Amino acid sequence: MFLDSLHTCVSQITETDSKTVVSLDGVTKTYELGGTVEALTDFSLELTEGSYTAVMGPSGSGKSTLLNLIGGLDTPTEGTVTVNGSDLTELSEDERAGVRGSEVGFVFQTFNLMPRLTAVENVALPLSFAGVPRQKRRERAKSLLADVGLADRSDHRPAELSGGQRQRVAIARALAPEPAILLADEPTGNIDTETGDRVMEILGELNDAGNTILLVTHERRIAEHAESIVHVRDGALESEEVV
Amino acid sequence: MDGRDGLRMAIRSLRGHRLRSALTVVGIVIGIAAVVTFVTFGASLKADVVGQIDSSTANNIYLISAPSGDEGFPESPQPVFTENDISEIDEIQGTERVVPQGTLRTSALTFGNDTVARQQMTVTTPAAFEGVDFLEGRGFGQGTNEIVVNGQARNVFDRRLAVNDTVTVQRRSNETIETTVVGVVNRTASQLPFQTFAGQPRFYLPTEPHYDGVVESPNLGVNQRAYPQVTVVADPSDLTDTKTRIETYLNASDAQQLKPATYEISARTGGDIADSLEDLIDRLTRFVTGLAVISLVVGAVGIANIMLVSVTERTREIGIMKAVGARNRDVLLIFLAESAILGAVGSVLAIPLGVAGGWVATSYADIALTLVPFWFGVAVLVGVAVGVLAGLYPAWRAAKVDPIDALRRE
Repeated sequence: MFLDSLHTCVSQITETDSKTVVSLDGVTKTYELGGTVEALTDFSLELTEGSYTAVMGPSGSGKSTLLNLIGGLDTPTEGTVTVNGSDLTELSEDERAGVRGSEVGFVFQTFNLMPRLTAVENVALPLSFAGVPRQKRRERAKSLLADVGLADRSDHRPAELSGGQRQRVAIARALAPEPAILLADEPTGNIDTETGDRVMEILGELNDAGNTILLVTHERRIAEHAESIVHVRDGALESEEVV
Repeated sequence: MDGRDGLRMAIRSLRGHRLRSALTVVGIVIGIAAVVTFVTFGASLKADVVGQIDSSTANNIYLISAPSGDEGFPESPQPVFTENDISEIDEIQGTERVVPQGTLRTSALTFGNDTVARQQMTVTTPAAFEGVDFLEGRGFGQGTNEIVVNGQARNVFDRRLAVNDTVTVQRRSNETIETTVVGVVNRTASQLPFQTFAGQPRFYLPTEPHYDGVVESPNLGVNQRAYPQVTVVADPSDLTDTKTRIETYLNASDAQQLKPATYEISARTGGDIADSLEDLIDRLTRFVTGLAVISLVVGAVGIANIMLVSVTERTREIGIMKAVGARNRDVLLIFLAESAILGAVGSVLAIPLGVAGGWVATSYADIALTLVPFWFGVAVLVGVAVGVLAGLYPAWRAAKVDPIDALRRE
């Protein structure tokens, strides 16, 4: 009861203070895998501008589905997903690709960099799909790499970079289009603790600079970097706590 | 994303698999090079034949009786053109002279102590030598045992023939004729349009008294000589109309009534014959090129195959691109660009190879090499088109990749 009222309170404060960047309203997602599997059931969530939210839950709880829906990679079976004012369920496949390229920045556990592109080309990739001219996107990519401390690595390929460096390239790439929301899926899952801390430090700095972040993790230690933690279990929001 | 970005991405991934890309290109190189080789050889052959057409035969109209639909010269022309036909045609406006030609069946020729086997000799009239340059001597007269030979025929005996030499002709009927060489020519007025036809030894005898192909003229009702081939030398300024007038006469000619039912009487100019020969070469070239296209299809299948492998291997990369904003058409473009590049590079490399092949073929056939740049342009376009076509399905598969599945892959 206490948590619920606190949640309401927090929501009220944030609602009055800033605008909503991401909103899930009554979202249900079912998969047909030799039977109907409900990944999310009547799930609602709002992220306000500049917030830093962690999602925790065991595997199979629906964390990834949540991320895919907000990121516009997937569409809900029921309900609506709104990102920076656009209702993703109303958009065509190409329009959703446009939203992915301009409103959403993905940071994956396995980095997901293009192996044959250099760091700077990887960072510039979303901008090339958004139609930004080559020279301009190179400049932006270089400055972003400098921001994550990799100015001297910009012409290296992912294979020539350490795990932590790769993840920093991935963060720079996610930031390239100045997205409304940064989606980080276990960003420290594939790197050692020390470099993981450095990555979390960068995410914290980005949040301080005003970026909205949604972090998915199963490690409480990592989740505590966020302002609030949302617990998900069996496709439903179990509880929400403020750190 | 614009086309240049797509090309850049495509080149990047092709360079990532150098050996594989190179081997795929080899398939296209072989296909296009084979096509270029045969097209080049065909063009060279045609240019060679056209070059060999004797310009002095352009004003000749050849009258031939041949089986219907037969475009070449018949193997067994029928003697249907009577003396009556010849004198009637000679009266037609625009004809300068009419040269009949027949064959005398022989078994052997003897000069001095040397006897050579010979199946046939040409019998014709002195008109065949009008306006012809003699290497030596002069034309024969009618009603004589004089003989004219061509340059090649001079050398069939162990001793070289010269004017005033005596050659004994043994006819198939075993009758022998003592003939005297009076002239040596390189061509006659009734010569066919190709010098290659003159590449063999030829012996000419006057029709009188040696030609005995005699039939009854249906128009006159009397027995006359009839010839299987007649050449009309026409006034060059009026060639087409003269040909039409001759054709009109031929409808009522003795030849028309004498010919077998399945035969056709036709009048063809040197140009017509050259055209039909060119047409024949064109058809042969197309047929052989068609065979070469099969190897191009094999090359295209190679591209399609390797692109499918590539799509499967790079599913995760496709997922990444889609996650950062690539639309389906962006992915399609990148993969199509890759296969188009494979096709284009293949065809560009194939052109010098194909030209080299054409050079080898023409050297072997002993004809001059003729290059047709137009076909090189076509080859490159075909290479790109083959690449795009072969890449369509793989690229479509790439565009349809589900990013969630793709990113889940290891």
